[in-house]
Amino acid sequence: MHDASAVQSGVTSSERLGRRAAPYILILPSIILAFWIIGYPIWDVANMSLHAVNRFGQLKGFAGFDNFSHLVTEPIFAGCLFRTLIWTVSVVGGTVILSMPIALILNENFGGRRIARIIIMLPWAVSLTMSGIVWRWALDGQSGMVNATLFNLGIIHRPIAWLATAGTAFPVEIAIGILVSIPFTVTVYLGGLASFPVEIFEAAKIDGASPWQEWRYLTLPLLRPFINIALVLNTIYVFNSFPLIWVMTQGDPANSTDIFVTWLYKLAFRYGKLDVAAALSLVMFLILLSFTIAYSTLAMRDEEESSKSTGAPGSAGAGAQTGAIST
Amino acid sequence: MRKGLRILLGVGILASAIVSAEAKPQLRVVVAYYSAATQGIFEGMVKDFTAAHPDADIKVEVVNWDNLQQRLTTDIAGGTAPDIALIGTRWLVDFVKNDIAEPLDSYITPDFKARFIESFLTPSTINGKLYGLPVAASARAMYFNRELLTKAGIKDPPENWDGLVADAKKIKAVGNDVYGFALQGKEIETDAYWYYSLWTHGGELIDNGKSGIASKGGVEALTLYRSLIDQGLTEPDPTGYNRQDVERLFKQGRIGMILTGPWLRGQIKTDAPNLNYGIAPIPAGSAKATYGVTDTLMVFKSSQQKKLAWQFLTEAAFSPKWRIEFTTKEGFLPVTKVEAEQPQFTNDPQLKAFTDMLPYAHFAPPIPNWEQMADATIRALQKVYTGEAKPEAALKEAASSIDSILQQQ
Repeated sequence: MHDASAVQSGVTSSERLGRRAAPYILILPSIILAFWIIGYPIWDVANMSLHAVNRFGQLKGFAGFDNFSHLVTEPIFAGCLFRTLIWTVSVVGGTVILSMPIALILNENFGGRRIARIIIMLPWAVSLTMSGIVWRWALDGQSGMVNATLFNLGIIHRPIAWLATAGTAFPVEIAIGILVSIPFTVTVYLGGLASFPVEIFEAAKIDGASPWQEWRYLTLPLLRPFINIALVLNTIYVFNSFPLIWVMTQGDPANSTDIFVTWLYKLAFRYGKLDVAAALSLVMFLILLSFTIAYSTLAMRDEEESSKSTGAPGSAGAGAQTGAIST
Repeated sequence: MRKGLRILLGVGILASAIVSAEAKPQLRVVVAYYSAATQGIFEGMVKDFTAAHPDADIKVEVVNWDNLQQRLTTDIAGGTAPDIALIGTRWLVDFVKNDIAEPLDSYITPDFKARFIESFLTPSTINGKLYGLPVAASARAMYFNRELLTKAGIKDPPENWDGLVADAKKIKAVGNDVYGFALQGKEIETDAYWYYSLWTHGGELIDNGKSGIASKGGVEALTLYRSLIDQGLTEPDPTGYNRQDVERLFKQGRIGMILTGPWLRGQIKTDAPNLNYGIAPIPAGSAKATYGVTDTLMVFKSSQQKKLAWQFLTEAAFSPKWRIEFTTKEGFLPVTKVEAEQPQFTNDPQLKAFTDMLPYAHFAPPIPNWEQMADATIRALQKVYTGEAKPEAALKEAASSIDSILQQQ
């Protein structure tokens, strides 16, 4: 369209260049600002990770990759990496799967739907730190609400100190992580569900599709872009999520609930090893970056293919996707 | 014309405000939050001081202990350090190593120095120089629930660890929901709770420049704690309990004996006024010991007002009036001789239990990166408390990682 209009008006090549460059020149200030705001901290952290840095953030000389080799030889590095992966995969996976039925139910028309939606969204309004504190109390080994309930139901016969051992503490934290991630994910799904064209569902009904077939062959493919967004954003949030674990166990007992971000805090602010901490944050940043890029490319390729093959659903999905982001 | 006058007047006021703000020497004091009384005490000092020095402008800021170290680190890194700060004395080593604390030897007079109980000046003295003045001191002792002990048929609290084990067994027999001995298993000072046992078994934290926790005394000390858990003489799953948690159990009357500091007296007064308890020395093993901890007021090297800062310390913060006020209200041990002579200290048998232990007090060793070593120790303790590792293996692992931290200095 651009070219067509250019040819029609018969402009010179320099004018055409100017017109093409204009939008870039116009957004240049924003780009510079964005690079400064995003780029400077990354540059600063990268710089710190290559230097010896004292407790007070003063650079003390070039150290090459010493900080990185120091980091990976720490005895708890491998354990933290493993737990970070378990934590991220379980919380994100659990959230994305559990949010699906909740979103489908909330999308149905029933009395009190509005109230049900508000109740599901409520945990979102409570800060993670607050939720962490409440759960820490609820899971208390002596007087916790969870123990009292299970005891009264006759499920347990003596109180369990949930947060005292790795075997219970980490799974419990994952469960709570899922619980607090559900509101956001349900919101994303609901945005998607609301944008679907009604006609194709009616057509499917007339053709005699079962509810399962309707979900499997219409809802799920249409919802795919929204699931992708939920996956990527949740992975970024959960991978970097500090407050829940910190408030509930601080990585205890014996580092068995430490993930990268809690260990990072200890390295930086408890031990004063800002250089090793900088190396760790860089490693974390690169892990997330490569995941996001890899996943986005995969998801985009899939989407292109599906829109090529089916046409309408893909474009409807893509349109709705921008709608969901802007809300 | 009128408008012009008004503008002139406004500019004049502004200018005079700026001038007066510049002329008034400013002092920023950051102190740790001990209790609801802390702010009032320090503001009282400022009020007294500015009455004598009307030209001084002193700002006091009270910061939570949990955030204090991070806050000061960020301030120092950003070049906006305060003039005076109240810190945990063991942080002083890192400050001195990085040339951040001002040595006070050239300011202090022999008369003023003589006001202090000498042993409390030792932790703030590094490489022979005094870098801070002790402002709060505490030692640890054993609180016991008199009612529980009587119910179990015990007349006097145990004097040594063998006695403690025997008494804890008797208390266990009293009922289902009571425990003989409290064992703290997580978060801040979990290591300290075990040092009592380490020191009384003849162990040392640092021995000849190396970690001493895996010594014979250390292994005995941890084996003892593990055996207490095995026999059900502590609360179940100690790694679920931080300091506040075990103290709460004691206040609820469900713990026979607990090792902790003087602050618990104040808490019992408000939270459990009917609790019948007593205070005794920490049980002895092959030696007697307690953990001595001081907090310190220090002056920053970057301060532009060092003389004024020193005046504030000598005339207000360490005046007899405010010393007595601080120690009484916050429930610490006296650090100056004037305080120690006050009737409220000499006539208080409970406080006497703490002060009697002072000759046996061990302080945290003045080495940098202390927090990292404490964490390595806590990791070993938790592995043993949860049954994941045996005492000797866990302590050896921790000792070797502490040794490598020590070598990095």
